[in-house]
This record gives sequence, C-alpha cells and structure tokens, in this order.
Amino acid sequence: MEIFKSTITGLIDTSGFTGLSDIRCIIMILLSFVLFYLAIVKQYEPLLMLPIAFGMLLTNLPLTGLYHPELWDPATNPYFAPTYVDAGIGGLFMSVFTPETSLDYGKVLHEGGLLDMLYLGVKLQIYPPLIFLGIGSMTDFGPLIANPKSFLLGAAAQGGIFFTFLGACLLNFFDLSGIGFDGFTLKEAASIAIIGGADGPTAIYLTSKLAPQLLGSIAVAAYSYMALVPVIQPPIMKALTTEKERSVKMGQLREVSKIEKVVFPIAVTVIVSLIVPSAAPLVGILMFGNLMKESGVCDRLVKTAQNELMNIITIFLGITVGATAVADNFLSWKTIFIIVLGLIAFCVGTACGVLLGKLMYIISGRKINPLIGSAGVSAVPMAARVSQKVGAQTNPSNFLLMHAMGPNVAGVIGSAVAAGVLLSVLG
Amino acid sequence: MNIAFSMLSESGSAIERIQGLGSAKDQLGDPDYWGSVGILTITGIMVVFLILAILIFFFWLMGTIFKAIDKSKAAKKAAALEAERAAAPAPASVVEAAAEEEAPDNDEEIIAVISAAIAAYAEAEGTAYTITGISKHKSARTRSAWSMAGVNDNMRQF
Repeated sequence: MEIFKSTITGLIDTSGFTGLSDIRCIIMILLSFVLFYLAIVKQYEPLLMLPIAFGMLLTNLPLTGLYHPELWDPATNPYFAPTYVDAGIGGLFMSVFTPETSLDYGKVLHEGGLLDMLYLGVKLQIYPPLIFLGIGSMTDFGPLIANPKSFLLGAAAQGGIFFTFLGACLLNFFDLSGIGFDGFTLKEAASIAIIGGADGPTAIYLTSKLAPQLLGSIAVAAYSYMALVPVIQPPIMKALTTEKERSVKMGQLREVSKIEKVVFPIAVTVIVSLIVPSAAPLVGILMFGNLMKESGVCDRLVKTAQNELMNIITIFLGITVGATAVADNFLSWKTIFIIVLGLIAFCVGTACGVLLGKLMYIISGRKINPLIGSAGVSAVPMAARVSQKVGAQTNPSNFLLMHAMGPNVAGVIGSAVAAGVLLSVLG
Repeated sequence: MNIAFSMLSESGSAIERIQGLGSAKDQLGDPDYWGSVGILTITGIMVVFLILAILIFFFWLMGTIFKAIDKSKAAKKAAALEAERAAAPAPASVVEAAAEEEAPDNDEEIIAVISAAIAAYAEAEGTAYTITGISKHKSARTRSAWSMAGVNDNMRQF
C-alpha cells in the first residue's frame, strides 16, 4: 500500500499539473486555442498559423522539456570564448576565457529538447532562406520584367517599414514604465517595423537576428495581418483614390522572352548582393529558386523546392517559432504594442504604395491605375488579388491582376532589401 | 548612393554606441538618439529606392535591347517572306493536307480552323501551301481530335 501511495504521489509530482500553478502558462495555452480557432475556423494562413499555435501549446505545457528558452538567452547560456594572445616567444598562448554575447551551442545540443534542435534552423537563419528558395521557384517575375517601373511601387510600399521603425522609437518618448513597458531598443524597433514588409520569412529572418525574444509575437502579428490583407487594404485604397483613377484600364503587358527571364535572377542577385551584401541570403536564394525554374533544366529540383522542401521547412519553421512564445516573452505590453505597430506598418505601407501609384498615374498621363501600388507590400499573391478585386468593383471589365503582380513580386525583393539595410546598420 | 552611405557610416558610430547601451531607456538618453533614428529612417528608404531604381534602369535597358532584337528579327523574316513571294508567286508546294485531319460533317468552321493552323505554320516556315482536300482519318477513333485535345489538357496536371 505504501509503495502504491508513493508511486501515485511520485506520478502526480512529475506530472504537468504541478507546473500549471502558473496562471500565465494557462493564459498562454488558452491563447494557443485562439490561434487554433483562427487557423482552423477562420483559415488565417493556416499552413503557418496551425504549426505556430501548436508550438505555442507544446512550449507552454509545463515540464514537457521540448523547448528551453533559457538555452537561447546569452544571459543564462553564455559562450566563453577562449582568447589567444601572442606570448612573444614564438607561439600563441591561451590566456583567459572572455564572456561573449553569443550562445553556447554545445549546451543546446547536450540539453536541448526536440524543438530546441529544430529551433537551430531559425536561430542560425537556415529556414527563412530555404522558404525563399521555394517562393522563388514558384514566382513568375515576367510582369515585373515587362514593366520594370513596378519596382518603384515595390519600394514605396516599404515606406511602412521605416515609418513604423520611427513610430516604435517615438513610443519610447512616452514614459510608460508605470504600466511595466520599458520601451523598445533600436533592434526591437527594427524587428517590429519589418512586419510592414508583409513577408513572413523576411520578418522571421530579421527578428531572429536582432530581437529573438520577440519572435513569437512578431510572427503571429505578421502572419495574422497577411491573412487580413483583403480586409485591411481595400478601405485605404478606396479612401486614397477617386473613382476615375480606380477605373483606369492598363494596356496589355508585352511578352517576356526566356532569355530575359533567365537573366533576371542572375542580374538581381549580382546587383543587390554587391550593394547590400546582408540581403544576399534572402534575395540570392530567392533568385536561385527562380533561376532553377526559368532555366527549365532543373525540373526535378524545382519540384522538390516547390513542394516537399517548402512543406518540411514550413512545418519546422512554424512549430519552432510558435515554441518561442513562452509566457515571459509573450505576455507583456510589448506584444500589445507589436500588434498595434504591425497594423500601422501594414496600413502605411499600403498607403505609400497607392500614393506613389497616384503620382505615376499623373506622370504617365492617366495610364497607370494607382490601385496596383497597394500590391507593393509583398503578401504574394493576396495583395495583387486585392488590387484586382477593388479595380473590378469600380470597373467590372478591368483586369489588373497581372499588372499588380509586378509591384507584388517587386515588394518581395524590396522588403528583403529593406531587411538587409536594417541588418547592415543594426546587426 | 555615396551620400546615402556616407550618411549611414557617419551615423554608424553613433548607432553602435547607442546599441551598446543595453536598455531602451539608456538608448533614449543618448544625445544622438533622435538624430540617428532619423538618419537611419531616411537613408533606409533612400537605399531601398536607389537599389530598385538601379534594377529598373537595368531591366529597362534589357527590355529595350530585346525589343529591338525582336523587331529586327521580325523585319528580317518579313523581308525574306516578301522576297520569296516575289520570286515564286505560285504556291511553293502543294500538300495533300488530309492524312491526320478530320472533318466530321464537312463543317466549314473546322475547315477554316485547319486552314488557319496550316497558314500560321506556313508563315512561320516562310513557305506557302495549297490545301487540296481535307478528309477523315482512316482509323476510326472514339473521340474527335478536339475533344481528345480537351481531355489531354485536363489530364496534363496528373
């Protein structure tokens, strides 16, 4: 009887219920249920939202040991780099161990759980470029090559990123320490701002480098708003344009030859990588995927990049990004401000694109429909579809989709470049 | 471009110093905080525009070159065709365009479509054909060529 009693108490002590005493864990688990609802019922980017929600659930169930946030914090898992100095007697001599800001990856490998191992791919910036490989192999840059002016709209929509960066810094101006908000550092501000790029992999890439503690909140905000593009954008587009502008019909795009499509990825890689080398992992791999597709000689590789590889990485990326959303990081005022600032980033990005579209409408002699400007906030192909839909509402015979695809894919390049710029200055 | 980069590098040292101050509150206290944030914002958007402007220029140039090449090719082809027509006003060759085509009900529409297809092919080749007759293929098939093409098209994705 004694043995039975001790077995039962032992089981109870090691069960997760003892850890559930922390109310914040329970709130996080309930929040993951909300994300399940958004993914399954509302179908907000379910391919990513569902793994994110499940990662969030797993990581907040106590004692599962799948993910250890303390292993990923340089304060609790510092790496002591041996320092070598020239002893002057013909050799190098090891003197002292100096604490560095980097992590001790050895400890991660020794003590980490399943999700810690998978998180290495996020932390070491492996997953986002591989997702870009798949995106590149699925993207047709033809409309952009046929109308290179679209690049301008893709650049304008990145205005949302930089405006939000400023906004996040301005937030520090107000003393909100009374409610427990101690402001955003420059790195955090840049990570929040990149939500305006409307590009999940880019946002995760930049945040994992600059502010990994915010990864969960930023990924959830970015993917939620991307799913909400058809709700967020149309009112802004309609408010900023007149009916006459919206009804402009654009001429047919010229046909793009195969040589141009092959030259495009090579040229973009060379030009962008030379100017902003830190954007090369994203833009370079994106263009590699595209070259495989357009060259027509790597069909098997293209199929893998588009399907299996992309799906595997999406699962790893989603579940690990969700796992970073532990109560300490997620349940704070920062998350609330990230959600508000992310929405501002989206709105301003859309507005900047439409406004530049208006300018081009005037300069081109009313030949360019300003609605295609809003597609400059990546979110491929959702944003382009929104341009098409709003255009068709005004003039049912209008067909803007292919014209909007130009700024849309330019936006992908634009947000990767913007991330590269932020990384080169703040990284 | 250079201006943007020199602005960035000038503010670079200040940004590095500000980043060295761990918390947001300390960073805000730095006298160069707002200057650095402003410069980073402005130069950031400028650099994005500049890079994409360079890409526009490059692909505009490429587009112009390719359009010119296409035009000269088309002009050459037209000239060659013209010369051939002048040399041989009579049809260059006569073909019994019958074997593989079929005209179920001797339908004029189908004959027009087949003629148009042969004309397009002939134009690309630079020769001319005269269609002397269109008749059903000998081996009886269960589906017409058009419905077969439709089936093929639908099945291609599998």
